[in-house]
Amino acid sequence: MNLKNSINLLLVTCYSLLVLTACSSQNRLDGYIYYRLNTNPTTLDPALIVDVTGGSISAKLFNGLVRLGDDLSIQPDIAKNWSISRDGLTYIFKLRYGVYFSNKREVKSYDFKYSFKRILDPKTRSPNTWVLEKILCADDFMKGRAGDVKGIRVIDDYTLEIRLKKPFSPFLSLLTMTAAYVVPQEEVDRWGPDFSSHPVGTGPFVLKEWLPNRELKLEKREGYFDVPANVKGIIYRIIPEDLTTVTEFELGNLDVITIPVSEYSRYKNHPKRQGLISSIKGLNTYYLGLNCSKPPFNNLSLRKATNYAIDREKILHTIYERRGRLASGPVPDIMRKWDMPSYYEYNPERARELIKKEGLDGITINLYITADQEVIDIAEVIQSYIRAVGIDIKIKQLEWSAYKEAINKGEPDMFYLSWWADYPDPENFLFPLFHSSNHGAGGNRTRYINLTVDSLIEKGQHALDQKTRDSYYRQAEEIIVKEVPWVIFWHRTDFTIRQPWIKNYKIYPIYSMDKGTEVSL
Amino acid sequence: MNTYLLKRLFLLVPLLLGVTLLTFTLTKALPGDPVLSMVGERAQPEVIEKIRKELGTDKNVFSQYLGYVGLMLKGEFGRSYYTNRKVFDDILLKFPNTLKLALGAMIIAIPVGLFLGFISAYKKDTITDRVISSLSVTGLSLPVFWSGLLLMLFFSLKLKLFPPSGTGDIRFLILPSITLSLPAIATLTRVTRTTLIEIYDMPFVATARAKGITELKINFIHVFKNAFIPLVTVIGLDFGSYLNGAVLTETIFGWDGIGRFTMEGIIKRDYPVIMGCIIVGTIIFVLINLLVDVIYHYLDPRVRLHENSR
Repeated sequence: MNLKNSINLLLVTCYSLLVLTACSSQNRLDGYIYYRLNTNPTTLDPALIVDVTGGSISAKLFNGLVRLGDDLSIQPDIAKNWSISRDGLTYIFKLRYGVYFSNKREVKSYDFKYSFKRILDPKTRSPNTWVLEKILCADDFMKGRAGDVKGIRVIDDYTLEIRLKKPFSPFLSLLTMTAAYVVPQEEVDRWGPDFSSHPVGTGPFVLKEWLPNRELKLEKREGYFDVPANVKGIIYRIIPEDLTTVTEFELGNLDVITIPVSEYSRYKNHPKRQGLISSIKGLNTYYLGLNCSKPPFNNLSLRKATNYAIDREKILHTIYERRGRLASGPVPDIMRKWDMPSYYEYNPERARELIKKEGLDGITINLYITADQEVIDIAEVIQSYIRAVGIDIKIKQLEWSAYKEAINKGEPDMFYLSWWADYPDPENFLFPLFHSSNHGAGGNRTRYINLTVDSLIEKGQHALDQKTRDSYYRQAEEIIVKEVPWVIFWHRTDFTIRQPWIKNYKIYPIYSMDKGTEVSL
Repeated sequence: MNTYLLKRLFLLVPLLLGVTLLTFTLTKALPGDPVLSMVGERAQPEVIEKIRKELGTDKNVFSQYLGYVGLMLKGEFGRSYYTNRKVFDDILLKFPNTLKLALGAMIIAIPVGLFLGFISAYKKDTITDRVISSLSVTGLSLPVFWSGLLLMLFFSLKLKLFPPSGTGDIRFLILPSITLSLPAIATLTRVTRTTLIEIYDMPFVATARAKGITELKINFIHVFKNAFIPLVTVIGLDFGSYLNGAVLTETIFGWDGIGRFTMEGIIKRDYPVIMGCIIVGTIIFVLINLLVDVIYHYLDPRVRLHENSR
């Protein structure tokens, strides 16, 4: 055999192999909708879920007493109605009849008592105790001083009473969270720690299969108490890489994807695809935190100067490609019912003046960031803006958990971060982020202290009337915006793109709102 | 030979202790706390403390290490901090995938690499040689994430021949295998070329030619046989490293192997996962090296498998 023949043989072999195995599309299951997850959910046990991935799947498997409506109002879920006492301390929930777990047992009020106690029980090691800690005597139970949570009382099979320590106006919003979902005790006892991968709930879907790092298969459940799903099931494919996801979508192997930053312009200008883009104004705020607990940012003038120095609008329009709305305060625009003027518009001259006046020109400060490319780009622009007004910045890039540890300890002068709503109430953007009891890991990482702000937030938490609450929140937010512990950047808008055959698709501002029942093929 | 093999296997014990101690100390020295990643934003400090206590991450590094060795002696790798799944079970689930990918890459790399290396050496200093040499330099320099994505765009998106991602039958295996084989093909081509050129200059080749033996016989019976030792070394090293997972290839093609598993463990500071993967990786590497040594012996009987000969 000569050389030419051997090359020909090799080529023919390769080609035959290609043809024999060729086929680019997946074997799609009929009637199923295909989504992408970029990471494997860590757990599907509502008591332990802290990630969005796990939360969005568990919303399809479980239900709580109440849920969020499309307008972010509180709507009945398993509770058909409820009443709140005049003092705002006692909540009485009437449950629907005929709501069943997927193991075919009816949900009774005891199940809620069990599920809530389970979250508060130290043995569960739930990171979500804060969701229910407002309940009367929850602390005593958590610390082992009481065998029961006095504040949760089963009145009868379909009536549940919850009493709070103090009035807490966003309490119903807290109950819409995944941590407040109901779970059946017999299944938790049966599976032990493996309940996290064998979830049993009341939701419109059941988990059929979970191949970690590959795929999750949810199947429509017959007998769901509310509007049943339009699809036979949902397949979540775990694909870490964005470009791979786009390829899978283009080939029709995925039905809906979140548009990666790098593909946003292409899809936006694509004549056939642009009509299939959906967007949602996210309940989030991106910010540059300024550490108020130590020099140099304990100086209000320098904080103001930093705000004057950065052209946020330009960054939003260029690097961020207008994928967000410029923020005027920490509370997201769509959640705020009052006006918040912008105080420190881009004015480098004014920034320079303030810095000179304080004698701070020429100092070096550090900016901590994570290793995300988008964050790195933004940090470099911030660096050039701040340098232009006479202050040098050293960027320190850290891996996520190391970054979190450093910002929790108050190590950096500046850090870039975002906050996403757990529940749609302005309190969720004020109390954790600016109340002095939450320094560090609690959320207030700029270590901002203002006792007036503390008191206004607390008054807002306890006020029962919506208008009064809003007035306290507005006052608190105004002080915060004037004292600028943050350079408040924007509220991100998320974009998804779907296939033409997907109907009734909706995108929600909070993951727990999507029960997966509306979308159809 | 059996005594030699047993001795080598016995040496695995101190080696594993050394490797685990080093890995354990290094990973613990890294900044970052897994418990903080696990609990999300608003966990109570008491809960964080309790989890630290239960996982044992509140103890000093040395007692943590001893605890881990104790677990290892029981034949366990512990459970992942995040998923609470047994690390050993997950490794067992993912290892066959990694093995498939490594085998796939080697099945492509070995014939192609040897073939190109042979042509290059046979046609030394011609245009063919130069083209192949340039291609092999390109193959070595191409980052896997780039070549992988290009292959995906071309074969999946344009030609619609293969699925772009997923773990499954041979259709899913082809693109990641080709991607992973590219650097191996390049290395093998270069090593084959250099080795063959050296052998061509040896007197026994001239003798064979003088005897009138055909070129095909000279190359395949005399020359290649003598070139096998360095080639087996390179193949063994590549195969060993692929069996420890190919992080980038597995990530791009969504292949559920050991590489992605290890990487996620490292990113999340999931110590039981990191340690489990390192131990399995070390054992595999040692075994592959042992296998290579045994193959040396069969390829060249002058290589003897006992201490005095080395």
